[in-house]
This record gives sequence, structure tokens and C-alpha cells, in this order.
Amino acid sequence: MYSVELDNIVKRFGNVAAVDNVSLKIRENEFFSLLGPSGCGKTTTLRIIAGLEEPDSGVVRLHGQDVTDVPTHKRNIGMVFQHLALFPHMNVFENVAFGLKMRKVPKNEIKDRVKAILEVVDLSGMEARRINQLSGGQQQRVALARALVTEPSVLLLDEPLGALDLKIRQHMMVELKNIQRRVGTTFIYVTHDQTEAMTMSDRIAIMKDGRLQQVGTPTEVYFKPMSAFVASFIGEAINLIRGRIQDGILTTQDLGQPILVNHGENSSEAYLAVRPEIISIDNELEGLDNILDGIVRDVIFKGSYIEYRVEVGPRVFVVHQHSRALMQRNFTVGERVKIGWRRNEGAIIPSSGV
Amino acid sequence: MSLLGSLVRKVRRSRRVKLTLLLAPPLAFLAIWFYAPFIITGLYSLDMITRAREIVFTPSLKYYERILGWRSGLTIMLRSLYFGALTTAICLLISYPLAYYISFKVKKHKDVLIVLFIIPFWVSFLLRTYAFMTLLDERSFINNILLSLGLIQQPLQLLYTDVAVITVMVYDYMLFMVLPLYANLEKLDKSLLEASSTLGAGPVSTFFRVTLPLSMPGILAGSLLVFIPAVGEFVVPALVGGPNNFMIGNLIYQIFLGARHWWIGSALSILFIAMILVLAIIYLKKVGSVGPSF
Ligand SMILES: Nc1ncnc2c1ncn2[C@@H]1O[C@H](COP(=O)(O)OP(=O)(O)OP(=O)(O)O)[C@@H](O)[C@H]1O
Ligand SMILES: [Mg+2]
Repeated sequence: MYSVELDNIVKRFGNVAAVDNVSLKIRENEFFSLLGPSGCGKTTTLRIIAGLEEPDSGVVRLHGQDVTDVPTHKRNIGMVFQHLALFPHMNVFENVAFGLKMRKVPKNEIKDRVKAILEVVDLSGMEARRINQLSGGQQQRVALARALVTEPSVLLLDEPLGALDLKIRQHMMVELKNIQRRVGTTFIYVTHDQTEAMTMSDRIAIMKDGRLQQVGTPTEVYFKPMSAFVASFIGEAINLIRGRIQDGILTTQDLGQPILVNHGENSSEAYLAVRPEIISIDNELEGLDNILDGIVRDVIFKGSYIEYRVEVGPRVFVVHQHSRALMQRNFTVGERVKIGWRRNEGAIIPSSGV
Repeated sequence: MSLLGSLVRKVRRSRRVKLTLLLAPPLAFLAIWFYAPFIITGLYSLDMITRAREIVFTPSLKYYERILGWRSGLTIMLRSLYFGALTTAICLLISYPLAYYISFKVKKHKDVLIVLFIIPFWVSFLLRTYAFMTLLDERSFINNILLSLGLIQQPLQLLYTDVAVITVMVYDYMLFMVLPLYANLEKLDKSLLEASSTLGAGPVSTFFRVTLPLSMPGILAGSLLVFIPAVGEFVVPALVGGPNNFMIGNLIYQIFLGARHWWIGSALSILFIAMILVLAIIYLKKVGSVGPSF
């Protein structure tokens, strides 16, 4: 059974389609991310799952049950808001205990469960603190504890790390994933930061302008993008070669030679997407399906890897090489090199995704 | 010239001097028109000013004692507190839903609604009160409708009753309740209510556990803004109340300008101010502690 299902959800604000015919199936205990640029409809989708926003059309199911018309407080979900929304008139204990009180849990049990969850989020002993006496990271964890303590069947998180600085954010990313494993709940995580999504998720849905672009594991969306948008949105850089594909051969005007690609559908217009780290670079290359001659135009040292920009005819390829290679040799600007990759290492973006 | 220049520079530099200069006019104004009369009232109440308008330094509490032994005076005082409290409570009960509705449920043109609500209050207080009298009159359309519907045989005596005094005071003072409540509710972060619902709280629980506690500052402000002038009101009971609806304001007025007994009048005023002060402090302590402390 699926934890959350969305069927053809549409939500308009005026003439903006914030969510445009979105269908999703999210599995039990999955860490699922909604990723996309600002304004693409992630928050709206999440709010529809929570029941805070009513879809214009479509069906929301939680554990197989149609909850489209069930009010939020009866959906047994937990939510961490973008701006946390902690109750300013309550201390940490009261904030965390709120959901349990609403469920009429006995007093003693409330105490025990609050204590236990505060241990999980590493906030033991902070029960009596007021919200404004906590740091941003601590408030973050209170919000998480408050949402988790009721053991909701689904936890919705709306950019919960947005307000934190990089160090705490990295720490919290690992923590969140650990907590999710420990409590065994479905997490639906909204973010516009691909690192967050990549680090934590079992699967990622990428959205743009209210529409789903692709759903897949982090490696799938990284190496096998289904659209030019996903290809360029995910990852640091990608080489996109546009052309026509016939019997596993891509021809393009830019390059003087045909490019071998995976056998598949023929298409008069498609993209070949090749990640920079897939491409080998050397003075001589052998045994690769595609080998091109080029001239190094830029060398950028980035720490763990080196970025080369290699001119091939009118095109520039971005190539990443592990820094260890520097020990043997590095290429200098103006040097003639060969770059190459295997035909099955590139991803073809079908014409529907162009 | 240079002396003046250096003086000006000094004044510019010193924050304390600047503050004093800034505060001097209002302080002088208050000193002349409020503190001085207040002190004089105090002196009268302690019998320190003679009939010959001379100050003597032999204070006595005899007028206070007289008031405390004066039953009908105390009744009027209690009635005023009761009327004030009732007016405040009714204002709150009417205004809260109104402010809540405008702030939470209305999507567009909130400010227009608020202005529409304020407009009647641009009319002078006296005119509004007189206008209301015509509604309460024996020959008013309210009575006429009730009579013609056969619901009553005799015209209702509305004017010159407790009901009239309270009704008109509620009408006159409601604005002072609505505005602070509305301002407070507008500031309230609506995502807190959503958070409450995601935690399993229905609309009623959310209201009592989140909305109401967070609107306490507005309730406190509104209540004091209504209660204090309402308790001391004397125009409304004078116009729409009968002899049994006298309030403390009317009594003080009569003692000063009717009986011309400035000593008793002063003692009564001071006593009443002290009572309100004590009540206000108790109220702020009790109710204020329920609210959020942020
Ligand atoms: N209450 C609303 N009224 C009108 N338009 C809205 C409302 N909420 C969202 N929108 C619009 O719907 C679209 C999607 O908004 P949404 O908040 O879901 O985006 P988002 O993906 O969460 O963006 P961000 O990353 O910036 O938070 C945007 O164009 C936004 O302007
Ligand atoms: Mg958002």
C-alpha cells in the first residue's frame, strides 16, 4: 500500500496553476523529496497533502483512504513549517506535548514520550525553555520533535533547514536521515536545494511550473534525466548535445563526427546528456566509443576534482577529473587533448523532454 | 555669536538635553492642566484647603470617613464599577467575533470594512447619544414595530433604564475594543493556527489554546480602554438614565457643581481613582499572566 497518493491534483490561484495535474505515489517509510525552483508549487503540493489547501480537482489518499475532504486535524499527519510556527506562548515541553494533549494521551505518558523524543533530537533538559530562548538550530529540532512525537503516519517538511547556516544544515541533514530511519515514518521533504534532496532522499520528484518533471532515485535523476530541465537543474554541470538519432547514432551539425549512443527509439530531435565526470581526458585515448579531439580552454582546480573546459569545434565540453590524476599529469590551457566516453554512459533525453 | 554656537553644539551632542527639550512642552502642559489640579484635589480631599481658599498643613481624613459611611454614595460607586465592567464585557463579546471575522475570514478590502466601522465614530459622541435616544423613545420605531406586530400591548419603557445606559455605553465605546483587538489579531501569525491543526487540534481547541491566549494583549488593551472611561461616564447616564441609574461621574458632578462641596467631591474623586487603579492592576496581573510573555 502507498503512504500517500496524489491523483491528478490541480490547484489554481487566480490564473496561476500552482499545481498542474500532479500524480504521485509515495511508499511507506520512504524519504521522498519534492525538489524544484522557487515558485514551482512545492509548498502548495505539501499543503494539499496536509489538507491546508483544497485542490480544485484530484484525489488525495493516505494509506489507501481518500482524504480529499477530511480536515487537517483528522489526517494524522505531522508537519514542520518553513518558518517553524512554534507557539510563542508555550515553552519547549508544552510545544512538543501539544499534539499528544489533543489526542488525549494520559499525563504520565505525555511526559515520557516528550522526554523520549527530546532525547532523539538532542534537546534533553531544555523542556522549560521559552521558544525565544533557543538558537535557530534548536528551534528547528523542537519543531521536528513536536511533529514527530505523535507518531504521524506521514511527516511533511517544508524547507525546514532553510533558515540555518551551512554547518548546522549539513549536520541536520545527516540527523534527519537518521531520525527518519529510527522512527520509520514516511518523510515528504520540500526543498529547492538539490544537495539536501540528493543527500537524504530515497526518491526525488522534480517540479517545474506546477508540473512534475521526473520522479526517481537520486542516481536516476542525476545520470538519467528525462528532460533538459532536469538535466541542467540537477548536478553542477552537464553536457547536452542536441541532434537527430538514427539506429544508435546521433548526428549533430556542431560536431564533425557521429556520436554513438544507446540503441533505442529513433528521433529527429533529442538530447544526449553526458555528466562531466563520465568523460575521460588524455593525450591519447583508446577503447571508448566516442573520442573527440579538442583544445583545453580553461583549467579550474576545485579541490577534490579539476574542471576542464575543452573546445571541440564550435562546442565547449565540461570535463571533471578526479584530483588524484594531477599527481600524474595535468593539462594546460591551449594543449591538444582527446576526450571520450562510452556509448552507454550518456543518457538520451526523449523528444518529449526536449 | 560663538557662545550661542557652542551652546547649540552642546545641545546637539547631549542626548539628555535633547530629551528634556523634547519632553518639556508636554510635561509643562500636563503639569499645569493635570498634575496641579490633581494635587489641589488631593489637598481638598484631606481638608488642607479652607473655605477662605488658604492652605493649612493639618491633613484630616474626615471626608473619606464620611464617604465610607455614606451608603447611597457607596451604592453609586459600586453601580459604576458594575456598569463599567458590564459595558466592557459586552463590548468584548461583540467585538471579538467582529474583529476575528474581519481579520481571519475576510480576504479582500479588510481596511474598507474597518473604515466603514469607524465612520459612525466620526460623529460627535453627544450626537450619537442623542441619536440613540430617539431609538429608545416610547414612540420610536422599535416600539411601533413591536406594537403593530402585537408582541406588546404597552410601549416598552426603554429610555431612562439600566438597559439604556449600558446599551448606549456599549455603542459609544465599542470602537476602543474593536481596534486593539483587530490590530492584535492581524499581527497573529496564521501559520500557528495551521500548525495547531496539523497537530490534531480542531477549530475549537485551536481557538482556546492558540488564538485566544495569543490575543490576550489585545483583550487587555481594549478592556482598559473601554473600562476606564466607561466607569467614569456621566453624559450617558445623565441623558438616557433615570434617577436610579446614576453613576459616580454624575454624583461627583452634582457634589461639585450642585452642592458646591469641593471637599467631599475631591475625596470621592480620589477614592474612586484609587479604586480603579487597584482594579486595573489586579486585572493586568491576573489576566495578563494568562497571555503570552514574549
Ligand atoms: N495563497 C496564494 N495566493 C496566490 N498565489 C499563490 C498562493 N500560494 C502560492 N501561490 C502561487 O503559486 C505558485 C506556487 O507557490 P508555492 O508556494 O507552492 O511555491 P514553492 O515551490 O513552495 O516556492 P518556494 O521555494 O519559493 O517556497 C507561485 O507562483 C505562488 O505565487
Ligand atoms: Mg515554499
